[in-house]
Amino acid sequence: MSKLSLRGKASSSKLSSWVQPSFGDLLGGSGLNSFSSTKGALAAESKPKTCPSSADVSGKRPRKRKGDPPASKPQFFSSRQTSQEDQDEPWVDVHVPQSQAELAVHKKKVEEVESWLRVQLDLRSENKGGAVLLLTGPSGCGKTATVHVLAKDLGFQIQEWSNPNTASEYRTDDSFRQSFDPASRFNSFHGSSQTGAFQEFLLRANKYNRLQMTGDTQSQNRKAILVEDFPNQFYRQPGCLHDILRRFVKTGKCPLVFIVSDSLSGDTSSRLLFPKDIQQELGIHHISFNPVAPTSMMKVLSRIASIEASKNAGRISVPDKTVLDQLCSGSSGDIRSAINSLQFSSFTDNSLEKGLWASKKGKSAASAAKAPTRARGRSRATKSTDKLEDSPAIGGKDASLFLFRALGKILYCKREGYEGYEGSEVPKIPAHLAEHQRDRLLVDPEIVIERSHMSGEFFNLYLHQNYLDFFSNVEDVARASEYLSDADFFTAEWSSRSTMLQYGSSVATRGLIHSNSSRAQATSQSSVGFKPLHKPHWLQINKTYRENYLSAQSLFINFCLAPINLVTELVPYLAKLSKTMRNPAQIAFIQDVGSLSLKRFPGRLKLEALGDKDPGALDFDSENEDSTQTIKPGTSSSSGDPTAEPALQSNQEPGTDLPASQPQPTTTEALLDEEELLIEEYDSD
Amino acid sequence: MSLWVDKYRPTSLAKLDYHKDQANQLKNLVQCGDFPHLLVYGPSGAGKKTRIMCLLRELYGAGVEKLRIEHQSIVAPSKKKIEINTIASNYHLEVNPSDAGNSDRVVIQELIKTVAQSQQIQSSTQREFKVVLLTEVDRLTKDAQHALRRTMEKYMSTCRLILCCNSTSKVISPIRSRCLAVRVPLPSIEEVCSVLAGVCRKEGLLLPAELAKHIAEKSGRNLRKALLMCEACRVQQYPFSADQDIPETDWEVYLRETANAIVSQQSPQRLLEVRARLYELLTHCIPPEIIMKGLVSELLSNCDGHLKAEVAQMAAYYEHRLQMGNKAIYHLEAFVAKFMAIYKKFMEDGLDNFMF
Repeated sequence: MSKLSLRGKASSSKLSSWVQPSFGDLLGGSGLNSFSSTKGALAAESKPKTCPSSADVSGKRPRKRKGDPPASKPQFFSSRQTSQEDQDEPWVDVHVPQSQAELAVHKKKVEEVESWLRVQLDLRSENKGGAVLLLTGPSGCGKTATVHVLAKDLGFQIQEWSNPNTASEYRTDDSFRQSFDPASRFNSFHGSSQTGAFQEFLLRANKYNRLQMTGDTQSQNRKAILVEDFPNQFYRQPGCLHDILRRFVKTGKCPLVFIVSDSLSGDTSSRLLFPKDIQQELGIHHISFNPVAPTSMMKVLSRIASIEASKNAGRISVPDKTVLDQLCSGSSGDIRSAINSLQFSSFTDNSLEKGLWASKKGKSAASAAKAPTRARGRSRATKSTDKLEDSPAIGGKDASLFLFRALGKILYCKREGYEGYEGSEVPKIPAHLAEHQRDRLLVDPEIVIERSHMSGEFFNLYLHQNYLDFFSNVEDVARASEYLSDADFFTAEWSSRSTMLQYGSSVATRGLIHSNSSRAQATSQSSVGFKPLHKPHWLQINKTYRENYLSAQSLFINFCLAPINLVTELVPYLAKLSKTMRNPAQIAFIQDVGSLSLKRFPGRLKLEALGDKDPGALDFDSENEDSTQTIKPGTSSSSGDPTAEPALQSNQEPGTDLPASQPQPTTTEALLDEEELLIEEYDSD
Repeated sequence: MSLWVDKYRPTSLAKLDYHKDQANQLKNLVQCGDFPHLLVYGPSGAGKKTRIMCLLRELYGAGVEKLRIEHQSIVAPSKKKIEINTIASNYHLEVNPSDAGNSDRVVIQELIKTVAQSQQIQSSTQREFKVVLLTEVDRLTKDAQHALRRTMEKYMSTCRLILCCNSTSKVISPIRSRCLAVRVPLPSIEEVCSVLAGVCRKEGLLLPAELAKHIAEKSGRNLRKALLMCEACRVQQYPFSADQDIPETDWEVYLRETANAIVSQQSPQRLLEVRARLYELLTHCIPPEIIMKGLVSELLSNCDGHLKAEVAQMAAYYEHRLQMGNKAIYHLEAFVAKFMAIYKKFMEDGLDNFMF
């Protein structure tokens, strides 16, 4: 341990001396310079007890902690006593949740994780294999904190893997003062790959119990392995990880917990590392976390604010409630960033702060005054739209929506009545257009699309797949479908396409929302109930269409027919004729394509349910090029031709290859959660 | 054993069964030596290709019938490799440039250049030009058509083009004016009947005249389809009976059922079912335009009076969008939804009138 921290010191001071001059040159000993030097000093000298080293920290999870202040969150177990000594310590670390009550995570989730851990820890003696738990969720929703709190409550130790800093020198730091450092003890590891090291780590963590220390009284041999950080190799070849896991599941003795952060923008590492089939094969239990709910975040924020205020009165100006609200909504469920921005915004000597928040306060006060009568749920919804315009200057995080929710927002199109207005003020349209009278929308379609991280075109496909369930009369459907058709028509001309895409999606979403006359009034809305959403068929269909078309051409080339005649006349009739001269491929094709079963409901189409965390299909444009090549073997698109777009689906499978209707316990549960939320909002006014 | 369509395809201009005047004119054209570019157009199944092959035989003799399928790969200026299948004899080359999608321009230029640059070896006994037969010219991009126009002039000395398409409306006028246009109309019902009877006689079958007429009507005078139908009839039942059912293709039946489903109920749920059926048709390779056309004709038979005009106008509107747009299903579905709305209103109005 001492050796470890020594090296940590050395490297950290090296780090700061490497960093410092550049700042010094730039700013010439201004405030920033002193800031960085204090940080360096802090890292190197202060609190050797709590935090092994800040170099550890900076080496640890650089991927996740980008948004954090320079000396980010060292360890979870740093205690409050030490933090009182140090004003500069991030509040995220000072106020690490110590008990389940302090966790901002939903109780049900915590219970779920707890029961799993309990079962695995208790059954471990009988159970031969190792069990694997996968926690996913957006960053800052309390996944890690939950595990650590539970470790404390259930009384087990956590051994944590983190990637070695360099190839030659690597170190794992784990919590609870338990160190596992193969580099110092097993020199044979030098130069071995991260993958190898990871495997070795699992093996050792699995095999050996930690040494008995004085003071450890109970539960000496209860422990869990925690992996938050994956060797890079696994991202390139998930197969390696799967092989290691297979071995672990056979031989493992203690539960293994993986924590993977979701992200919306196509980077689906949890999907890549743990595809569904592997999850099933290895019996990986998957629990997905939701972003922290605004109410519980408010609770945590105000708790921290009051603690800090009482601790050092005067030095810190505690933000008032509206500011906390702003922080809450601006962080989009990321509690880590919310606390960080709370800390930042509550320094009194921050001269920026006054000006920044003054305008915000004015605005939010105005919006609060606008609708004083609204119930809580409503005002929350309003705020979420308000914040779109004035996202807080501090700690504002790019809000984003999972596709499932984004679709829901459009299709359910929540509206609000004009309750706050006097009777005369309510905007009316002329009598002859009265059928187009709609209540005010609570969502802004363009922003929803933007936040769904998806091209408008693709979003339209999803809408198209799902909109019919939400309509009850045919006239509305006719209008809605016309808008969808319009939207597609907009993007027909490839030269203007990139501009028109946005307009297209805007027309489609707004058209859909407006034409649904049964949901025109706020009061008439709650009747629809929950409908499952599905993934669009079109891409698959279009792909099969093209493939069949091409294979028809290549199989029946000696008939010298134009392809249209081939598929509409020759092949169907060949299916009717029993001729023997054809080769097997042709016969198979004729049977497949030439004849249609005349059943009422075609069996080929399987609805693929869209889970709440499913990303949409992968990015459109990047796939254009290679897909045209794969789909049209005989052709090619002139470089990056946008009109070649219909063939965009070749690589699209990885995004959507979920087995169609397989039971997804976590997903359905999450769906219920969502539904509960909706009901709650309706009840509240 | 090959299909009747191929087996009894006439191979010389003299043997053609109908449009004999035109056949004679083509023969004269060949004999007078100077041979212009040709643009052969006409509906599908009228015998354009047959006529062209006869013409080529007239030009070069039996050598044109030795066909070989070649797989050519062409490198575009953008270093992109384009693969395309061609059918060629020693004297001509047939290619469907629209197979190349957006790169059809390159295909046309390169292929014609290769063909045109090689001279005939024995120009004394042979024609001094080769023929390039381009099919589905109406599906070429504008770009390719302009390229074609320049190429046509440039290689006039060593190469003649025969363009084959269904309609000239999508062929740019410079090309039309550079070609001798030859329209091949559909055979009349009687002509189809006589061809069918002739084929059956050669097969040693007895075809009742009523059945032949029936087939001819059902096929819409499309001779290829008529022959395929006739052969399917033979498989289904022999000896023929005059009133036997003529087998239809599955997709036609399916499409008709789809239309019936639309007419019988108008609701969002039904539209969802219809969408599934449309998808099913698409996976069976039925092009969206054909689905649209088939649907409209089936639906129109269920409408009357002014509704017909309205539906037809709407169909034209969405057909246009279908051609312009990217994703056919939006437009097909919009058409169906619109039809449902109109039809429902129409039925409700009718019901009201009936009641009062």
